[in-house]
Amino acid sequence: MKQYMLIGALAAATAASTPAMADDYPNRPIEIIVPAPAGGGTDAVARMLNQYLEEELGQSAAVLNVAGGGGAIGVNQLARTKPDGYTLLSTWNSPITTVPHMQRVQYSYDTLTPIISTSQSAYTMCVSPDFPADNGEEFIAELQANPGHYTYGNDGVGGTMRLAAERIFAAFEIDARPIPFGGAGETLQNFLGGHVDIYGGSITPVLPYVEEGQAKCLLVTSAAPNEALPQASGLEELGHPELETVLWRMMLAPEGLDEERATFIADAVERAVQYPEFQEFLAGQGETLNLVRGEALRERLRQESEAIGEVLDNLGLKKH
Amino acid sequence: MFESLFHALPVALQPDSLLSLVVGTLAGILIGALPGLNPVMAIALMLPLTYGFDPIIALGLVAGIYNGSMYGGAIPAILLKIPGTPAAIATTFDGYPMTRNGQGGLALKTACWSSAVGGVVSALALMTLAPLLAKVTLAFGPAEYFWVAVFGLTSIAVLVGKDLSKGILSALLGVIVGLVGIDTLSGEERYTFGSLYLVGGFDLIIVLIGLYAIPPILEMAEKRNESYFNADSFRVSAVAGGLGLLRNYWRTWSRSSLIGVCVGILPGAGGNLAALLSYNEAKRRAPDPDSFGKGNPVGIAAAESGNSADNASAMIPSLTLGIPGNLVAALVLGALMIHGLQPGPQLFTKSPDVVFGFMWQMLLTAMLLFVLGGMVATRLFAQVLRLPTALLVPTTLVLMAIGVYTVNGNVVDLYVMLAFGLVGYLLDRLEFPLAPVVLGVLLGPMAEQNFRLAMLISQNDASVLFTRPISQGIIALLLIVLLSQLWKYHRRNARSSAAPPSGSA
Repeated sequence: MKQYMLIGALAAATAASTPAMADDYPNRPIEIIVPAPAGGGTDAVARMLNQYLEEELGQSAAVLNVAGGGGAIGVNQLARTKPDGYTLLSTWNSPITTVPHMQRVQYSYDTLTPIISTSQSAYTMCVSPDFPADNGEEFIAELQANPGHYTYGNDGVGGTMRLAAERIFAAFEIDARPIPFGGAGETLQNFLGGHVDIYGGSITPVLPYVEEGQAKCLLVTSAAPNEALPQASGLEELGHPELETVLWRMMLAPEGLDEERATFIADAVERAVQYPEFQEFLAGQGETLNLVRGEALRERLRQESEAIGEVLDNLGLKKH
Repeated sequence: MFESLFHALPVALQPDSLLSLVVGTLAGILIGALPGLNPVMAIALMLPLTYGFDPIIALGLVAGIYNGSMYGGAIPAILLKIPGTPAAIATTFDGYPMTRNGQGGLALKTACWSSAVGGVVSALALMTLAPLLAKVTLAFGPAEYFWVAVFGLTSIAVLVGKDLSKGILSALLGVIVGLVGIDTLSGEERYTFGSLYLVGGFDLIIVLIGLYAIPPILEMAEKRNESYFNADSFRVSAVAGGLGLLRNYWRTWSRSSLIGVCVGILPGAGGNLAALLSYNEAKRRAPDPDSFGKGNPVGIAAAESGNSADNASAMIPSLTLGIPGNLVAALVLGALMIHGLQPGPQLFTKSPDVVFGFMWQMLLTAMLLFVLGGMVATRLFAQVLRLPTALLVPTTLVLMAIGVYTVNGNVVDLYVMLAFGLVGYLLDRLEFPLAPVVLGVLLGPMAEQNFRLAMLISQNDASVLFTRPISQGIIALLLIVLLSQLWKYHRRNARSSAAPPSGSA
């Protein structure tokens, strides 16, 4: 009898804390599709967040890695599921804002339910210590003065870093030669070995070399400068804050998820990212929180998708 | 540096570290031995569970799974001709014939000792030469990588067996499979035929499981009524002990370990290539190259010490430069970062106990293989052969299917695996060698991509391929291998034309 009362009290308390919840969602485990293989950066962040999200949702949540097609295969799979809030997508921006321009896919930012964005990190461009420039402005000037001379390593055709760089180079009328590598690791290896002139990639891997004086980073691809790289200029400082192109992560659902459940999930994510352990983890990955919800998130996706579509069109890569 | 190295030894010898090493190694052997399950997946799933512990425990588990699975992969390769991990493909060449000859016990023991030796050598290289070898890693640009890939492709000449044209066709099939998908340099789709699935290209592990693991299963099913195995040959205790092995294999072990370490420090190459190159070199050097592929234990010694020597040395670019050499190394980097340790040049000065402790752990798990591999695992797994074929065939297939499904969570992958299985079966039946296929898949795209990258950087000046000293060194090696091979052919032909063919030839 006592037990029943306790459960009753608990139920009442839960109901009181979330008055908007008419149904008992979630009453069974949730599946979270990560459109990247197990073991990568996206997977690591998703699994880490998942630990705290489970507590906030009050349900277990299983991560399912559906890799391939630059993330498109996983998002396609999500788009085909029932919008009941039991299948969610934890992704980074490229599969939503870049890949649909280059491949045939069965979704767009318009046909997915935006829930909430979580964290983001800028890319940076770095050069060796003897490069004749010491800040963003001089860096741009040096590149402008030597068209077709400098090579910059990047994350490949359609990679977000490459697109970030191309947007900036187009605006400043710079002609630098892109050398597409498999990712930041490969780019760093070729930069440190002197095989390319400019490192283009995420901040974390190159940070130790900046501290050692083996590299100087002169530009970040976010509007604001980055604390860890005091020498690097943000795009605001260079007069083009609208060119900001960063790596960011978000939670999405299939088209037609009802608003109550979307809000419920967004609230849970917003609480989950506040765990100090998660924040510490993010800092280690060089990422900062950036919480944008619902329609504002859709608007962010729309703007980015259009800007990237334009860059890809200029590069002759836009297919769809 | 050596002071910090020895300061970290007690850390690695703590009871909880030792326990994690033993658990990790056993789990690794098991994961490696089950075809389809792979160490990367296991480590990726296990790491989040260890975030709450001391980093040295997480790293101990990683070291154990990593080294254990390299040996584990050899077990089904030897017993069933099914490589448990892609790196064990070269182990099937001689391992399985030995099993059929009733020498399964010796084959397993050779594999176990060779894995352990390769692992120990590699760990010692990691401990003593890491900063030096990291410099070598950086010296390799796209031009050098191109030559490494070409060098690997020339080894097809040694692996083809009797019919050169069939061998080349096999290799080309591999190259075509490797080309499918989006070309990373231009963004163009190649050989995708409008299929969304093919846009991402074939997953190496799925292709390899299909090609190398399904044909032996079909073969087993066909021969279900014959007495397929002689289980008595697996009494491991009947096999001569370690010192005898050492006397027989020390040359092979040192050569293959050296090859493994060299391949390991190049990010992107992998244990697969290390094993095939080592096998190749052992065969080329042997006084009796024709006995390879028919059950020569030297082949196992070469393949297993080669792939295990890749392990610890693949951690060198990862720990010293922050550039992961393979997926496991990338996971180790992730684990370090979660514990607030920034990989890169300062790691050695900022947290010496963790990084040197991990190096000791790599050494200790390699040594554990002597004990755990021989005593526990081998005895246990040899019992598998006592299972009736009617049970063994479906069980293995189901395990493989589970493993393949977990790679991408995509059912289409299973059909792809089966399709490649049929291709492999047909090739086998038509007496096309399967070994060149894997080299084509791995090295064809590697040669192509790096050639184009080198041309992009040099603005189509081909001299960049020949003017740099490392490239010149690799070209010299390549010429030596090719010319010596030609010389052998020439001598054999001269001999056979001098003496008119006898009845048996």
